[in-house]
Amino acid sequence: MRTDEMEIRNPSGLHARPAALFVKSASGFVASIRLENLTTGSAAVDAKSILGVMSSGAARGHRIRVTADGTDEEAALDTIRELVATGIGEEVDG
Amino acid sequence: MTNSVRLSGVAGSPGIAIGPVWRFDVTPSTGAAPGGGLVGTGSPEAVIRAAATETARQLEALGDRLRGLGRDAEAAIFDAQGLMATDPMLLDDAVRRAADSGDPVEAVRLAASSVAEMLAALDDEILSARAADVRDVGARIGRVLRGEVLHLPVVPSIAVAEDLPPSVTAEIPPGFLLGIALSGGSRTAHAVILARSLGIPAIVGVDGLLGAVDGAGPPASAAVAIAMDGETGEVVVRPSHRLEAEFRRREADLAIRRADASRLRDRPAATADGERVMLVANIGTPADSGRALAAGAEGVGLFRTEFLFMSRQTPPTENEQMEAYRRVLEAFGPERPVVIRLADIGGDKAIPYLRLAAEQNPFLGVRAIRLAYANPDLLLTQLRAIWRAGAAAGVVPHVMAPMVATAADLDLLLSLRDQARETLVGKSLPAAERMVTGIMVEVPSAAFLAPELARRIDFFSIGTNDLTQYVLAADRGNAALAGLQDALHPAVLRAIAGVVAGADAAGIPVAVCGELAGDPLGALVLVGLGVDELSADAGSLDGVRAALARATRPQLDELAARALAAPDAETVRELAAAVLGGVTG
Repeated sequence: MRTDEMEIRNPSGLHARPAALFVKSASGFVASIRLENLTTGSAAVDAKSILGVMSSGAARGHRIRVTADGTDEEAALDTIRELVATGIGEEVDG
Repeated sequence: MTNSVRLSGVAGSPGIAIGPVWRFDVTPSTGAAPGGGLVGTGSPEAVIRAAATETARQLEALGDRLRGLGRDAEAAIFDAQGLMATDPMLLDDAVRRAADSGDPVEAVRLAASSVAEMLAALDDEILSARAADVRDVGARIGRVLRGEVLHLPVVPSIAVAEDLPPSVTAEIPPGFLLGIALSGGSRTAHAVILARSLGIPAIVGVDGLLGAVDGAGPPASAAVAIAMDGETGEVVVRPSHRLEAEFRRREADLAIRRADASRLRDRPAATADGERVMLVANIGTPADSGRALAAGAEGVGLFRTEFLFMSRQTPPTENEQMEAYRRVLEAFGPERPVVIRLADIGGDKAIPYLRLAAEQNPFLGVRAIRLAYANPDLLLTQLRAIWRAGAAAGVVPHVMAPMVATAADLDLLLSLRDQARETLVGKSLPAAERMVTGIMVEVPSAAFLAPELARRIDFFSIGTNDLTQYVLAADRGNAALAGLQDALHPAVLRAIAGVVAGADAAGIPVAVCGELAGDPLGALVLVGLGVDELSADAGSLDGVRAALARATRPQLDELAARALAAPDAETVRELAAAVLGGVTG
């Protein structure tokens, strides 16, 4: 099991479109992947569920913790880290 | 060739539309054989999963089609919905419910509804919109289960129906909807609100509409054309060349009027004889500031702060709030006042960290300022953040409290305000020198007490939506009471006139920040009654400014006098429309 923390940087957070990209990306791995919003202290959700990801209410500036568990856990975390760092399909300013 | 049929209904959203009919009917399509759905073809779990997969396929196809048309933003909505259709959170819950009840259709509906409620409870503006998307997905899976076929419009069309449920309107790609004509419905129907937000015309309550449309051929015929005028409520089924030409002319007139309206943007709002009216915007988050300024808002009459409090497990900190307020105060600067409304929460909105007791009747419950008697910290923190934001932005902050009903409520507000500043001064933190302080008038008791309350504050802001609900004792959400939810009802107008009289005696201004202020006809009546400031969503400002520019003070005085004596809201609306019509001749 591997875990990492990162900050949401894109303007609209994990809402709708970015959430869809996030889920599609997570769904490409066999590892089970969980997401927690550390800023709001919400419960961990299934990162392959768009409804779960949206319900985490992760907005810009929030810190999230991603935990992957499975054979491709390392690749899964690398991919998600990269996706979040580059703004999940949105422009990141500042 | 059949004859034109002229019908009339209640104007819901302005605009002209001419086009083919897209007929929506709630009964299953005749193309689907009875029992043509998946229900009964396998275990509840199997049929739910199969229907979900099919629904996801349909939604993805819709997304692909929109992408092919270059409409990527709309396509993304359907992509997200496609993922929702097969979402484990939704399906596992639906399967579990179906195992208990044996009814897969109801199980899916309940599961979607439960997820939607959870998203809506986060109540961030964007996520509440997604709640509707989840319900919509649930409705779609239900249709697949039952074997109903919903043919979405394939060309831009005018939707004709008895009523359009939210799940259906949400599915129609916006560009495919030219207008909405309903035989049922009300001015507050979901479809009307949608039409206004899309800027397309809507007319409700059109008697004889379905007969005139369906009589011409099979239902869902796209060949039947309709012309409609959302300002007058006229609908013409199968317009003749002459009538079609007339509606095209009206369409051109409207385009010119709208262009005039945008030209007026650079000038302050005023009546035709030069009396200034302060025109400001309602905003829900700091991100709305740009749109409000672009629409020519002279400030903000209602900055809703609930966005800071919902969607989270712990209350927002003083610093976090201060930053949000400062951003807005700086965006508008010292020349454009921003009225920050203290949090209007409690009652029907779930705020986990407040641990509020469930109430039978939240709209008459412990809400807004009433919460502060037992729990003053929430408002104290907010007030400290506002004092500091004013100092940081170099402006005098304006604040108003919602739901003030009595002198005791006002005592509490003023003492919390002063206490918040004293705390900051005690810690040597920068605070604004003063705070312009007002109250929302939305509870009838506050309207009755206006003369006394006015002497102790700087301004009133009338919230016409809640005031209407409380004056007429009609729940805003109850469709059966649509006729009582009209803020132009003379009983509501008399309450407003009383507030204006109380304010005038004390020499303080009166604003209106309810929906009525953004309705051009409503704006005329309000200014006629002596209201000094109108606050509305940015998209409504052009229309209000244009309406004011076409009426004189004597006309508005007469309109107000006649409106107060009118028997009902419809008569008031006609009187106001006559003022606009009379000026243009």
